Amino acid sequence: MIEILEELILSLADDDLLIGHRQAEWIGLGPILEEDIAFASIAQDETGHAQAYYQLLTDLGLPTPDEYAFKRSPAKFRSAHLVELPNFDYDYAIALMRHFFYDAAEQVRLEALRQSSYEPLAGLAERLLREEKYHWLHAHTWIRRLGHSTEEAHLRLRAAAEQLFPYAWMLFEELPNESAMVELGWIPPSSELRQRWLDKVLPLLEDIGIHLTTPSEELLLPMKGARHGLRSPYFDDLYAEMTEVSSSDPEAEW
Amino acid sequence: MASLDPRIRRAEPELWQLPERPLQPLEHWQTYEVFTLRTRGGHAQHVGSLHAPDDEMALVLAKEQFARRSPCVAIWVVPTSAILWTRPEDEDLFQPATDKSYREPQGYLHTRERLEKYRDRLKPIDP
Amino acid sequence: MYGNLTLRPEDIENWGKKVHEEDPEKLAEFEARIARGEKIEPQDWMPFEYRRQLIRLIEQHAHSEIIGALPEGTWITRAPNFRRKLALMAKVQDEVGHAQLLYSAAETLGKSREAMINDLLSGKSKYSNIFNYPAKTWADTAIIAWLVDAGAIINQTTNSKGSYGPYVRALERICWEESFHLKYGYDSVVYLATGTPRQRAMLQDALNRWWKPIMHFFGPPDNQSVHTEKLLKWKVKLATNDEMRQQFLDMYVPKIWELGLSIPDPNLRKNPETGRWEYSDPDWDEFWRVINGDGPCNKERLAVRRFAEERGRWVREALRSPQARYVTPLA
Repeated sequence: MIEILEELILSLADDDLLIGHRQAEWIGLGPILEEDIAFASIAQDETGHAQAYYQLLTDLGLPTPDEYAFKRSPAKFRSAHLVELPNFDYDYAIALMRHFFYDAAEQVRLEALRQSSYEPLAGLAERLLREEKYHWLHAHTWIRRLGHSTEEAHLRLRAAAEQLFPYAWMLFEELPNESAMVELGWIPPSSELRQRWLDKVLPLLEDIGIHLTTPSEELLLPMKGARHGLRSPYFDDLYAEMTEVSSSDPEAEW
Repeated sequence: MASLDPRIRRAEPELWQLPERPLQPLEHWQTYEVFTLRTRGGHAQHVGSLHAPDDEMALVLAKEQFARRSPCVAIWVVPTSAILWTRPEDEDLFQPATDKSYREPQGYLHTRERLEKYRDRLKPIDP
Repeated sequence: MYGNLTLRPEDIENWGKKVHEEDPEKLAEFEARIARGEKIEPQDWMPFEYRRQLIRLIEQHAHSEIIGALPEGTWITRAPNFRRKLALMAKVQDEVGHAQLLYSAAETLGKSREAMINDLLSGKSKYSNIFNYPAKTWADTAIIAWLVDAGAIINQTTNSKGSYGPYVRALERICWEESFHLKYGYDSVVYLATGTPRQRAMLQDALNRWWKPIMHFFGPPDNQSVHTEKLLKWKVKLATNDEMRQQFLDMYVPKIWELGLSIPDPNLRKNPETGRWEYSDPDWDEFWRVINGDGPCNKERLAVRRFAEERGRWVREALRSPQARYVTPLA
């Protein structure tokens, strides 16, 4: 049973770890100082959430958060491909849209996890929701304000939404052993969470004139299996960079 | 020349070919003044200025720059242009010209002396 | 963090030139106020030269923060564990936050943030020289966070006793945040110093490379600096470069030696008779060369800043309100 719990927690933790990592790349490069600071806080929060999720496993005698994040083999990661994508051309529309999709999903997940029958997880979700409130305020305010501004902003947001939507859709890929998790009352089915997520993001996007349709199977195919260990083409570089220092001297404490 | 920063390497080679385009006036938006209430029951205090495009964004952006470390229970923002202030040359407005001790507690330091001096008068008045 | 006020040749040339005929009565009042230990606020009358020097000082400080975010930012994505990764993010974020506070303080004197950034990008306005050196290994981040921030704290604590209200207020908060940087940096250095042979070698190597820039950090020796009497009288500058350098050596050389590290200067010693530190010439020619653009990273630092401004342009343009009007921040 602990293996099933590990699958669940890793999917949550790995998503937070990698989105925090990608968002942190923006520190010092943001569009204006004030936003640079706000986004850097969000990156820190997400990284902190990852650490807190791993810690739930550590408390059960499994590896430490540092071991999970910095010393695990890539095949054992359970992140969705959305969070592995690079910042491409440092287009802030991509950064904001990923943040918008992701934090909407995070809110939906955390709201559900509050009711989880696995109490440590329910307690943690309750705490993390406090920080998510700001993330979501930040995300939807930016999207709405930019969505109602210039033609250029609108086009950039639309392109970003179209590019990222299939990836975001796959945040809710069915987890390994999901039926057992649902039966134990740990989580609702992923498909149900996805519906709640769509109900949250689609009206806001409609409001700014962005209409998205269900991604085709063909589009989704390359992302299938992420929750089972299939990494995106971007993962290896990310992981090599993230572990460059920690792996340079395996005996060392830093 | 390759950067040592992997984040920056991902921006090359365009990095080296950017045109020089100076920022335009107001490109960093207008300014707001930010106040925070540290605890319930306290006074809101001015904590700094902020560049923001509008009132709503000012609140969103003020939160992390002015309340990410210090205790805070509420933030106020106000466009700098909405604030009025008295001029430094009018500082004398705030300095009284005559003795105003009659409205201060310190203006009443000699009551006990008076009482001691005329203690003999402190007896019941015959009807 | 940042370096000290650096006077450039053209400033020296213009020094003492009467740019403005100041009203002697107002000037006397202004100087008397400073002598009494009172602060100057943005709406006060002030001599043209006071305003000019303060704008330059605070602006240079702000640029140093935003450029100073880059060498350490180099290692954010490679930090070796959660604690270091989070702390480094928070520290670099603080540097950006300090730039925000300082640009606002400079703006109260009448120069817009856009104009300041333009002067940074065109090379007209300088930033602390030390950020023109590369952060080659993880140990560099530890040395920067400990020793460069230590230098910055000495500098900023000194400046926080200055006469200009908005700058003093910004520095109060900055010094408070820098004290976390210093603790984080020292903790990081101690882990390396007490670590594996490879870690210790990495740390010594980083110290060897950063020592010279750190010696440059407080600016040229007093006997090479132009006279700063007026800046001292106006409490724009509060200690000389050599005084601050001596203070730094007093506080940190023993701590460096305690860690078993060697400082790459065979002549470094405290003269028991004078009570002052003696050291080899840290190559002031190199200092001037780097300030004038010929350092290992000058080009990259400005290119990255320009890149960030360019990438952010559409975002800023999109939300810019046509009704907006610029008002100088109040305090």
